[in-house]
Amino acid sequence: MIEAAGKAGPAPAIARSQAPAADRRTARRILPNRGIRRQTIVGWLFVIPALLMYLVFVIQPLFLTVQYSLYRWDGVGPATWVGLANYVTVLSEPRLLETLFNAFRLVLFFSLVPVGLGLVTASVIQRVATGRLGTISRTILFLPQVIPLVAAGIIWGRLLSLPGLVNQGLSAIGLSDVTRAWLGDFDTALPAVGIIGIWVLLGFCTVLLLTGMTKIERALYESARLDGAGWFQEFKAITVPSLRHEIGVCLTVTVIAALAAFDIVYVSTGGGPGGATAVPGIQIYILAFLERQVGIASALAVVLVFLVLAVILPIQRLSRDTAR
Amino acid sequence: MVSIGFDRDRIRGTWAVRLAAAILVMTTAIGCASPGAVAPSPTPVASATEAPSASAAEPSPSEAAAPSCGTDPVVLNAYFETGFDIPFKLAEEFTKQFPNVTWDIKQDQFTNLMTATPRLLSGDNPPDLIRLPSMVSLVADGLLKNLDEYATAFGWDEWSAAQLAQNRVAEDGTRGSGSLYAMGLNYSMTGVFYNKELATQIGMTAPPTTVAEFEGLLAKAKDAGLQPIMQWNATASGGGLAFPLQNLMAAYGPTEPINDWIFQKPGATIDTPSNLTAAEHLQQWIEAGYFPEDANAIEYTDANARFGQGEGVFMFNGDWQNATYDKDLPGNVGFFVFPSAEADGKLAAMSAPLTYGIATNAKNADCAAFFFNWVATDETARQINVDIGGSNPGGPTDLPIPSAAEGSVTNETLAAGNEVAKDNGGMDFIANATGSIFAQGWTPELQKMVGGRQDAAGLLKAVQAEYEKELNR
Amino acid sequence: MKVARQELYAGRALLLALCAITILPFVSIFTTALHPSGAVPGGLSWPAEPQWGNFVEAFNVANMRALLTSSVFIVLAVVPVSLVISTMAGFAIGLLRIPGAKYLLLLFIFGLTLPFEGIITPLYFLARQIGILNSRLAIVLPLIGLFMPFAVYWMRAHFVNMPSEVSEAAKVDGASTWDLFWRIHVPLARAPIASLGILMSVWAWNQFLLALVLVEDPTQRTMAGALGAFQGHYATDIPLLCAGTILILLPTLIVFILFQRQVIAALLQGSVKG
Repeated sequence: MIEAAGKAGPAPAIARSQAPAADRRTARRILPNRGIRRQTIVGWLFVIPALLMYLVFVIQPLFLTVQYSLYRWDGVGPATWVGLANYVTVLSEPRLLETLFNAFRLVLFFSLVPVGLGLVTASVIQRVATGRLGTISRTILFLPQVIPLVAAGIIWGRLLSLPGLVNQGLSAIGLSDVTRAWLGDFDTALPAVGIIGIWVLLGFCTVLLLTGMTKIERALYESARLDGAGWFQEFKAITVPSLRHEIGVCLTVTVIAALAAFDIVYVSTGGGPGGATAVPGIQIYILAFLERQVGIASALAVVLVFLVLAVILPIQRLSRDTAR
Repeated sequence: MVSIGFDRDRIRGTWAVRLAAAILVMTTAIGCASPGAVAPSPTPVASATEAPSASAAEPSPSEAAAPSCGTDPVVLNAYFETGFDIPFKLAEEFTKQFPNVTWDIKQDQFTNLMTATPRLLSGDNPPDLIRLPSMVSLVADGLLKNLDEYATAFGWDEWSAAQLAQNRVAEDGTRGSGSLYAMGLNYSMTGVFYNKELATQIGMTAPPTTVAEFEGLLAKAKDAGLQPIMQWNATASGGGLAFPLQNLMAAYGPTEPINDWIFQKPGATIDTPSNLTAAEHLQQWIEAGYFPEDANAIEYTDANARFGQGEGVFMFNGDWQNATYDKDLPGNVGFFVFPSAEADGKLAAMSAPLTYGIATNAKNADCAAFFFNWVATDETARQINVDIGGSNPGGPTDLPIPSAAEGSVTNETLAAGNEVAKDNGGMDFIANATGSIFAQGWTPELQKMVGGRQDAAGLLKAVQAEYEKELNR
Repeated sequence: MKVARQELYAGRALLLALCAITILPFVSIFTTALHPSGAVPGGLSWPAEPQWGNFVEAFNVANMRALLTSSVFIVLAVVPVSLVISTMAGFAIGLLRIPGAKYLLLLFIFGLTLPFEGIITPLYFLARQIGILNSRLAIVLPLIGLFMPFAVYWMRAHFVNMPSEVSEAAKVDGASTWDLFWRIHVPLARAPIASLGILMSVWAWNQFLLALVLVEDPTQRTMAGALGAFQGHYATDIPLLCAGTILILLPTLIVFILFQRQVIAALLQGSVKG
């Protein structure tokens, strides 16, 4: 079912990028000139249900968030207009600013490691485990993607605790000095949450990159081998560049997961200790529903949305592979 | 989690700009309408200043019959906290005695309840009975029913004034006086629990009578290779180190200023010299390693589990845990009130009602109030309170306090309750001062102190600053 | 492709190590779940007397019957409707190429990057206003809306690649647009629809934040939302917590193992397709 498993190389890609133009031409033939207006109306009728649900439950709340962010409101009483004051608070109050920094720190774990390690793993599977082992590995590595994130949080909460498996393992290899309650220690709490993220996301990246790898033309590798290139050189010169698109997708998904993290953090650390793992998602929840500062919560949410866009767009730009 | 595959050919840089521009234009258009006008206002609610006087102004109905649950079928809509059996058992018994009343009970974690309560009370199906984490802001928004008329009708005014004081809110928003807005299902007692076996091991023959004596015991425990104190401090459960901290505060200073701060009396501050001494002692305990090194990762349930398995000589907790302690360490758990700084100093302890409230628009307010009264006066209910809740049922002073099972630590906590009452040393919890002082003040600062990133003076200053910030909103 | 023996072994070792690290957490939770109630066992220790009853008890304590019903209801309410309307929209945008399709698509794609936290607060007030707060509808309706970006994009990606001859033939036979859609293209789109359905079912099942905020009665939330019940209840029960966690992740795990090819292919196809 994986499309284009056999396709590779530039020709089909070019055909693909030309496809939209071709479709446009044929599309006109689908809609007969006479009934174009009616077809248009019918066509839009097809879109309206989905559009409606989306507008009402996603776009409208988004506008409302922006609206709330301009007021001071506790959710129950009357609201007071404060203009951009909430944004000033978000960008100046250390506790709130820190959440944004934490979000970016998580990006290092949630994004860079899964992509990097995923590339390595995928290429390993590609080269030495194409058969049974490869399929089984793929399935196993993908498992964490399927379970609820809160389950992942609880599982790792126990693993990372003082009597947990991680410390047991460390002691077993003689590193018992390093053992500690990873999620309760100021220095290690955020990296520990990061580890949970890696566990959840590695499988996704690996499988995605693997799929991309199967499309890379064998001939490229063979000629490289003839030139005497080793694994790493092949990796650098052929594999990574060919996977620009897939890497882009990986980065996009994982960056969003990092910046918008909530479930894992809520369940494993609650944002603690002392705010060490406070991420924007948690802070928005606390501000809106515990402290009843709907205005500031909304401002933080808007800032988060902008940050996500600001990071994703360049990634999308860069991962466009024009020549494949 | 949402996965995304992007059609790279479609994403252009400029579309985002166009979209963003569109958003900006539309939001400035919308920006004129205030969300307060757009959003639904809570179903008819008296404003904060009106609520107390409105009820007082009502002519009290000639109380030939105090409010009751009547004879028609009633379903009480209730919200309890998970992990505590006592309200469930009381509800069961209540239905046994009054079969026309059944319960629709929902339960949730304490932390979830803290965020959910305002929403629940102002929603379409407000609870008849709900566990209240904190009250003042709820009263200010007119979400809680004023119970003064019930107090008169049932005669609660004649109970010990101290019992009801914590549930009173005055018109200026301070606690401790004014109209009654909540009732306690029982009155808990807190202090120091100890593992009798381990205590004997370190040579403790009688509960310590001074702080210095207690600290000596801690040192002995440490030297003997035992965990001196088992305590929780994880974010989800809230900073359990607040218990020993407050005990120390009451040991080194009077309880009134502490209660004033909790009750939001104007000008109250937690940053006082005696409190500083207390916090410094706590810091010393942390630095000496008396608390578990992973305290910041220990949740409430974990701490109890570990103490129950013999890890920890002492634990600062409350009598609501008695039943579990008796089960895990039968005959092996003792209790004493945290001593004062001096041998003959006044005893003090946190003692708070297990607060429950009635929503302003609750459908069965009368029945809920009757339930409150029943809990405090009915013999079976009082026994349940002692056996399962481990706590003092409160109520009229002429009713005897039921006795607990032989060998149960409840006997000790009840006796201790009397001693503290004699010294008038009851305090509310510093965690309850405002709706979020625990989650945003005490817990993170105590966690920092455990992690060596905060000192005593900084702790008090930071919490006081957070307190003032919240009060000024 | 000849591969050096060294590389073969090193590669396989790496793979095995990663798989082990992935599986170990599951195993650890499983063994912990079998310990007697109240114990605080270390990472990996098979108990002397496995307490299989813990699973039953966890099921009852967390009121899982109600939760299962609730989650199933939510999935049944969300997925079929989402499939229908997103297929229709994808059809219109990808095949019919209605005017404005490009901008519509961009509008949906924008939603793909939106974190839930960006809209959770107004969703709460909106739900209250419409009167669906604290009912499962409060999860169902917003979830349908939130699934639209991915679903519409997904279906459109399929329809865009449909050769025009198919529609041509239908037009010649005088088929209306609806016939074209329902009789011709939907049957052809069975595979992507199925994959999308499975994906959305898994996502709906695992939904946490929406359930936490919009539904106050924990028994009306999703299975994932139930985990809170364990963390608070039962003062000394870690084995029970682990048993409950396993029960909660079991359904999606089973679905995945049964449909793994479809699930993986589904997730990746959207990214691979041009």
